[in-house]
Amino acid sequence: MDVKYKINRLQTTNEIRPLVDKHWADLRTAKERGELVAWASGPSFIFAYAMGMKCHFMAGYAAYCGGIGAGEEVLKVAEMAGDLPETCSYHRLHMGMGEAVARGIPINPQAILPMPDLMVAGRLCPEMSHYAEGLHRRFGVRVLPIDLPGPYSMEDLPRIREFVYRQFKEVVIPTFEEVCGKPFDYDRMSEILRVLKEVAILRNKCWEFFKDKPSRWTLWDYGVSIAPVFYLMGNPAGVTYYEKLLRELQERREKGIPAIAPDGEKYRLYWDGWLPWAFLGKFMRKFIPNGAVVLCGRYPWEFFPHPELIDPEHPVESWADLYYGMESHLTYSFSPKGTINLIGELIKDYSLDGLIMFSSKTCRVMNLAQPEVMDVLDKKYGIPGVIVEGDMIDSAMISDAQIETRLQAIFEMIDSRRR
Amino acid sequence: MAIVVGVDVGSLCTKTVILDGDGEILSYDIMRSGHYYKGAADESIENALKSAGLKKGNISYILGTGYGRGAVARADAEVTEITCHARGAARLFPDVHTVIDIGGQDSKVIGIGDNGRVTNFVMNDKCAAGTGRFLEVMALALSVDIEEMGDLFFASKKKADVSSMCTVFAESEVISLFAQGHKKADIAAGIAHAIARRIIGMVGQVGLREKVVMSGGVAKNAGVVRAIEERIETRLFVPLEPQIVGALGAAIIASERMSTTIG
Repeated sequence: MDVKYKINRLQTTNEIRPLVDKHWADLRTAKERGELVAWASGPSFIFAYAMGMKCHFMAGYAAYCGGIGAGEEVLKVAEMAGDLPETCSYHRLHMGMGEAVARGIPINPQAILPMPDLMVAGRLCPEMSHYAEGLHRRFGVRVLPIDLPGPYSMEDLPRIREFVYRQFKEVVIPTFEEVCGKPFDYDRMSEILRVLKEVAILRNKCWEFFKDKPSRWTLWDYGVSIAPVFYLMGNPAGVTYYEKLLRELQERREKGIPAIAPDGEKYRLYWDGWLPWAFLGKFMRKFIPNGAVVLCGRYPWEFFPHPELIDPEHPVESWADLYYGMESHLTYSFSPKGTINLIGELIKDYSLDGLIMFSSKTCRVMNLAQPEVMDVLDKKYGIPGVIVEGDMIDSAMISDAQIETRLQAIFEMIDSRRR
Repeated sequence: MAIVVGVDVGSLCTKTVILDGDGEILSYDIMRSGHYYKGAADESIENALKSAGLKKGNISYILGTGYGRGAVARADAEVTEITCHARGAARLFPDVHTVIDIGGQDSKVIGIGDNGRVTNFVMNDKCAAGTGRFLEVMALALSVDIEEMGDLFFASKKKADVSSMCTVFAESEVISLFAQGHKKADIAAGIAHAIARRIIGMVGQVGLREKVVMSGGVAKNAGVVRAIEERIETRLFVPLEPQIVGALGAAIIASERMSTTIG
């Protein structure tokens, strides 16, 4: 008889929404209180937070719009304003929001943000430059572009780390001082890092529960819980949240409760690429009935694999080290070689059965080398993979039947390898 | 005698294969899917049963595949067309290692290991470039029957370049090639090569391993088959009825599941 799989929902994850909503409500109303606002892409938002600015992170806004179901209408405004549908949907989302406000086009009020006093564009990809340029040209936003090159090999890390650190010290911090009219608050940055370290260490303890067989939770729960190490960085409520989540997961382990009923997962999967913020539910409804659980992925792993290395006493140095240091080598895992190493470790540590390579149609930088990575890993570990095309938030890039067939096919491939 | 049925409900055509207890093909059917997939599946099964001189009551197991696999009302199980094409091709050509399947609205390349097992695969994305539908639109643009397209390929002396992968743009490209004075046969050859170009990228991703089998309705177009052969510099093996490979695979899996159930 076919097993009827069903998700066992975590109670704690219900508590993230009020924290997230408060963050965005504070950001929406910041100007009314005379507060300065920054936007950021790349790891620069911590500098805004240190200066007491309200700030949002590019992908965080996309995740939020996905969560409140506003992505589609905002993207439509961008397209109406002439943005090409093939361009980065994060970029289009911000342009759409800006255009909606500028032209008085009604959109979900929760999706409306004040234009920033400073946009720190961490250029991780070419589209990030267009994003920043578009904000400046179309809305007169002051933009501070910084370069965040991706390392190809570990040997690249020391010089890139130095380059990025010098940008933080010589360009980013002085610009924030100028915009805010006060000296940079190193003490506040240290405090943010202290809280981040505590939250991220707790979060990594929770991450360990993915190793359980059956797993105690899913990557989707993990994605929903990302804000405390992301745009809620430095908020002590994140510590409370993760302490509670950790207790719930420990309780599940003690009582033998799996992530999916009745007896846990049939397939343990890896997820590559962005999380599909607007379609988390859609994908969940395709995985769970098949007994499939997504356990780990490259993008969520980014926040933060080695929080123990955070040194709040040396905040700027530590922040550069977290991304580009030899020990942390976080950014290295986004190079093809680093990706192969990382996924190889995850395959072993999390007893994975298959790889879902989510290929965002509007974000080439995340998709680079996915077929080659899949091929190398299959040869080395005998783990099959499948490329699933889609997008983070744009439903025009999602084909339900095609996704269904690809996912079914990988389940069949895993089954056939088990026989 | 355990009679098993494989039904492949595709976007353009529905195919049914009936196997007997020894795994021999008793009959098959191919018909247009139309807009009512459930009706098409029922009718195709009915047609195949009639050809085999059987009745519904004789069927022991039905397995559905294809995009419309959920529409096979009486199916005991569903399996994707990826697995089914691999199994069907391996039955017809036991030493197959690569399948190129071009159907009505999708194209796929499947890598095959031992016993017809899928090792990896690539499918086209949301774009229908290089599929059967592409070929149909091009036949209309050339004002020829789709069956004639293959013959035209071989009449070509100098193929015209059809650079566009998009069905809509390729159609307008064909019109402008006519305006430039290119011959129908040369344009048909260009179209076949455009499909081949689309496919070789997918073959490259999966990795070419001989023997290579081509299945799906487009495999009936000898021009496209030749164009792909030229591009990959490898012979393609085409079954006598390439459209039923998926349904055959479905019937083979149905037969195995029957044995497991009985055993």
